[in-house]
Amino acid sequence: MLEIVLTREDANTEYALLAEWLVEDRTEVTVGQAVCVVETTKATVEVESPGAGTIVQLYAEDVEVELGKTIAFVAETAEELASLDAGARERTLPKPPAGDRKATRKAVELAELHGIDLSAVEKRGFITEKDVEDLVARAKAVAAPAGESILAGVSTEGVSLPSTFDSGDETGALDPGFLASLRADPDAFRSLSPADKVAALRGAGAWIGDGVELGEGSLVAAPRVVLEDGVRIGPRGTILCEEIVAIGELSQFGPDLELRCRRAFLGAGIWAGRSIRFGGGGHRDPWATLSVGDLAFVGDEAFVNVCRPVLIGREVFLTMRSMIVTHNVGHSVLEGFENRFAPVVLEDRSQVGLGAVLYAGSRIGAEAIVASSSYVVGEIPAGAFAIGVPAKPTGSSSHKLSDARRLELARRMIDDLHELLALRGHEVSAIENDSFEVAGTRVLFTPSYRGGLEPPAVVLTLEVRGDVPAGIAVLDLLARRVHGTGDVVLDSVREFCRKRGIRFEPGPWRYPGGLV
Amino acid sequence: MTTTAQPRRGVQALNEALHAIFASRDDVVLLGEDVLDPYGGAFKVTQGLSDAYPDRVLTTPISEASLFGVAAGMALRGQRPILEIMFGDFVALGLDQIVNGISKFREMYDDQVTVPLVVRAPMGARRGYGPTHSQSLEKLLLGIPNICVVACSECHDLGALLTAAVEDERPVFFIENKLLYGRPNRRPEDGHIGELAVRESGDPYPALIFSATDFTEGTATVVTYGGMLPIVLDAVTELILEHEIFCDVVALSQLAPMELDSVLESVARTGAVVTAEEGTLTGGFGAEVAARVQNAAWSDLRAPVRRVAARDGIIPSARSLEDDMLPSVEDVVTAVMALDGVAR
Repeated sequence: MLEIVLTREDANTEYALLAEWLVEDRTEVTVGQAVCVVETTKATVEVESPGAGTIVQLYAEDVEVELGKTIAFVAETAEELASLDAGARERTLPKPPAGDRKATRKAVELAELHGIDLSAVEKRGFITEKDVEDLVARAKAVAAPAGESILAGVSTEGVSLPSTFDSGDETGALDPGFLASLRADPDAFRSLSPADKVAALRGAGAWIGDGVELGEGSLVAAPRVVLEDGVRIGPRGTILCEEIVAIGELSQFGPDLELRCRRAFLGAGIWAGRSIRFGGGGHRDPWATLSVGDLAFVGDEAFVNVCRPVLIGREVFLTMRSMIVTHNVGHSVLEGFENRFAPVVLEDRSQVGLGAVLYAGSRIGAEAIVASSSYVVGEIPAGAFAIGVPAKPTGSSSHKLSDARRLELARRMIDDLHELLALRGHEVSAIENDSFEVAGTRVLFTPSYRGGLEPPAVVLTLEVRGDVPAGIAVLDLLARRVHGTGDVVLDSVREFCRKRGIRFEPGPWRYPGGLV
Repeated sequence: MTTTAQPRRGVQALNEALHAIFASRDDVVLLGEDVLDPYGGAFKVTQGLSDAYPDRVLTTPISEASLFGVAAGMALRGQRPILEIMFGDFVALGLDQIVNGISKFREMYDDQVTVPLVVRAPMGARRGYGPTHSQSLEKLLLGIPNICVVACSECHDLGALLTAAVEDERPVFFIENKLLYGRPNRRPEDGHIGELAVRESGDPYPALIFSATDFTEGTATVVTYGGMLPIVLDAVTELILEHEIFCDVVALSQLAPMELDSVLESVARTGAVVTAEEGTLTGGFGAEVAARVQNAAWSDLRAPVRRVAARDGIIPSARSLEDDMLPSVEDVVTAVMALDGVAR
């Protein structure tokens, strides 16, 4: 395809008059044929065709055309002519109105984060971050439930609160005299044996379930104390709350825990490592509420500052040395320095990588992942993978799996489990049809469990379509539910699945130890 | 397919204004090189004028010094000459007439005479015209008492400015940036140009004040004129879109005598000033603005005034080298970002 361009003939002008076409539009022209007359300020010139073909004119006669513009094409083949026609249709399509809006980069990023259509902004002039923030706030105000005063208006959307959350009754209220002595002389309590600690708290009115372990040198002091069955607080742990501490069954905390805030509601099946700190500046503030959902994971040396509500959802992973702050420290607001106090929310099943920092006001959407060492300011949308300083969504937190791929991954679990058991020194039979035997129990994978099988057996499956007889345990990997009961082999398989992120109901559940 | 409708280009607006002025006043004459039809002047501003008014459009030899003298004489004798200097650079050839005659006659003769002369001078680069046809020499004129220097921008009412210049009893140097001719003359509609709110202030040569916040707040005031306005507006837009930094822009049209009321009003809001001009840096427009603003509004300023201008050198012919010499959008952005308290 050849172009006919209006070339500069005169240094002082930007435009020339396209006076006359000498050939009809879409007619055949030959090389060197004069096709139009152009008047510039210094001369009138005829423009020649650079080649042979069909001429496609882009301007009418007697119009001023900017120098350097293409005024016509010469299509040398029928395909070229067709593509010119297609291009012309494209060019005449109306521009979408949103494309005309001038939005700042911050506004565009925030709008993308919240899935907001910028054409919803009714305003003359540039669309700024504040305009989008206002829209978000309006949407939130509609969505947020009324009441919830201890949450200071923080939306709990996407966050499963633990069953211990704000029971409102007086369960576990400590005798005020006992509490006063606890606060006055904490070392006396710390020096008690674990069993005596439990007995002392129970005697003073605390609600302490069965199998609760309070480690050597640990201290628990709050006007209301609720520790459900199987709660473990590691050695040298310190729990000091202004109103209540409530922890669900089977939750366990490693050594050197520090938990200080006004209200702490922790769910069941939480696993927390060593040297974890909840508290920091402002932990006595009226809004210092901590809520951690069931099955959450908190890694070693994590630090969660609680002076505004911190809501951590169900099955959230807050990994080693990650940090949450709800306020900053700095110079005078009257000198223009920022003075920020804001809640932080991690919606259900979100994950925060090693050493990541969540600044006051952060909200991590459900199932989103924040990469290690990232710094979060603002919101990360549900299902996003976000990375960087500041963290920005770069993709999705999970991949979409085909059925075939999912089946392949599930089947490979049998191979991996078999290999692990063999390496651990257990006697295992060879795999045959996704099935092997260990410790007298058959372990197998079937895409769909339809009932039957010789007990004892542990079955991994993607769907359960039949009754589960006695002596058989079926783990539905997709519905994440265990049917039936079993022994050490079931526990071991369940633990193996847990380490692949598959946590089963009924729960909470703690691995008592076994083959893996 | 036809070209889409757009605002008049600068050259059309000026050309129409000249026709209107000639139709309404018999005492106006125009002198210059190559101004007759069909050529109509190097930049086509006088197109059609000599055909319509053959006795009042005079083509002259290439002799700017005598041209200024002839025009001064005509003005002293009651006519209203408009002098077209083909390239503003050649104003230098008339400087003796300007400095020792045109600017002094009225005061020397105790107000018994006036010199109502308009000198139209295309200035500015970015066309590859080289060292002697690309300069912005307004600053040479700014220090001459008793003349008026008016620079039009693509957002000013070009016709109104030119008409006011012809009506003015003072000698008026009317600066037309060359890029203005080919660009649309974008006037405020409903108080806005694009996304920016615009006010006009001052008479008869108003300043245009632009704000993205409806004149409520701003980080800095960028003071500019003429051909730098589109570059400053691009820079201000980039600052908003990329950094959410909002600046006022004040585009003066009356450079001399310098009146900065509109600038001071903006500075009271923003607390910082950046000047932007296409001429070379030293001893220029920005220096004069800085001196006056610091004197009048010291307590409003939180940062030293920053100047954006051409490097102190000559303008090369090659476009790439020319770009290196001239102030750019990036230079303006950088100057604003470098103000105290802007970039954090």
